[in-house]
Amino acid sequence: MLAPGKLVSDQVSSFWNRYLYFVGIRQQNDQLLRELTAAKEELSGLRENASEVERLRRLLSMTPPGEWTRQGARIISHRLGPNAALETFLIDKGSAYGVTVNTPVVSPDGVVGRVLRISPTAATILLVTDPNSRIPVVSQKNRTQGILKGEGPTRELVLQYVPQDAPMEEGEVLVTSGLEEIFPKGLPVARVTGVGRSGASLFQLIHAAPMFAPLTLEEVALLFKAAAAQPAAPAAAAPAAPGLPGQPAAPAVVPPAAVAKPGRQPKTAAAIPPAPNQGGAPVATPAPAASGQPQAPAVQTGPPPAAPHAVQPGDAARKREPAAPADGTDAKKRRKPARPEGQ
Amino acid sequence: MRPGNIAFWFFFTAGGVWLQNVIPGVDFLAPGLILAMQEEKWTVPVWLGLIWLFIQEGTGSLAFGAGLLWYGTLAGLYFFGHWLFEARNFLFMFILGVCLGSMHFLLINVMALLQDWTVPLERLTMESALQALIFPVEWGLLYLIHHHLPDNGHAA
Repeated sequence: MLAPGKLVSDQVSSFWNRYLYFVGIRQQNDQLLRELTAAKEELSGLRENASEVERLRRLLSMTPPGEWTRQGARIISHRLGPNAALETFLIDKGSAYGVTVNTPVVSPDGVVGRVLRISPTAATILLVTDPNSRIPVVSQKNRTQGILKGEGPTRELVLQYVPQDAPMEEGEVLVTSGLEEIFPKGLPVARVTGVGRSGASLFQLIHAAPMFAPLTLEEVALLFKAAAAQPAAPAAAAPAAPGLPGQPAAPAVVPPAAVAKPGRQPKTAAAIPPAPNQGGAPVATPAPAASGQPQAPAVQTGPPPAAPHAVQPGDAARKREPAAPADGTDAKKRRKPARPEGQ
Repeated sequence: MRPGNIAFWFFFTAGGVWLQNVIPGVDFLAPGLILAMQEEKWTVPVWLGLIWLFIQEGTGSLAFGAGLLWYGTLAGLYFFGHWLFEARNFLFMFILGVCLGSMHFLLINVMALLQDWTVPLERLTMESALQALIFPVEWGLLYLIHHHLPDNGHAA
């Protein structure tokens, strides 16, 4: 009995709520639209991140050869402006990151090029497709050597100086031979696409395609020789520890407690600074602290200083002079002979 | 300089760099230098030229000096040309564009020769032709936009 009434009530209620009673619908609609826009932006960002992660994962999967280290870099721009005569990339790493001219640049697929010129925060990469790029390579299967030369952005590479009787197959991968001492040996550079002969030439006519796609490349890796990469760290830390190249870096690592004021140093033999020709500066003698020996008793046995004052370079020199007789022979050698009177 | 002009030159520089990325080998800032020499105080083209010179030298792969020769020759051509032609004539701009295209071909070849480099001539010829065609067209568009800036005396 109640079912028809309930049905009618539901229908009327539904009609009322869906078509007549719109209070809050517009606000809800606006809120949903905002949430949808935010979700779309987040989805776009996440897709971009996923793509970047995939690219970086491929870059990291590339194992650098032994004694070489790898550093990633982002491509800022391609050829730009009227003076961009060469096929180049601009990356966001420069000399501040240890990049030098001729540093090899690779992608997960193979060699991209080498650093042509640098600035502190950027570097220009000369691509292997540029006509000025020549790389000694060897074919991976038949071990045939040649010089791989670029022919321009839209053209294939050319393998030069391969004798007519040297074995070479289409599809063979050309890898760096390392003879030019810029690239490590064994990096893939290009794949042979055509082998032929050209008239009376003594060499084969071999074309090859680069392993990377220049237009879709976004990140690259820079390769550093392990021995060459080490000086970069001290160079980066140089402003924090200024000094002469030959001097030890002890002042930079000495704890503050070890660098006692000269006025509070004891007048002991250990506290006497070495002579200038014996090497080492007075500041660079943190022997007690470095050896772990307690120095407090030795400091307290001596008489207290007359008055603390700012230490000047001249003070150190004056304090060094009375200590000279401790090393009698050297002092005699250093002493300037007295000028006889009357001369 | 008026705020409208500052905004104009700022957006022109940004757009020019973006277009240079799209079509490499063509200078999209050179018509702006000519327009600045025609329409602004002498200090404006000097400052703009200096900024653009550093942009071109930094983004280019030639040794320092190519940009200096490029903009210096362009300014020289304009100075010598406006004695013979009406400075705001489209024909003069067309001739200037042809000279600029030829100069691009010559300058890149000479600089590459001095640095013992090889430059593909086909690409260089195409870039030179594009430079010669784009220069007067871009100058004309810029001239119209500049004259319709809100605080410009020429604005309708």
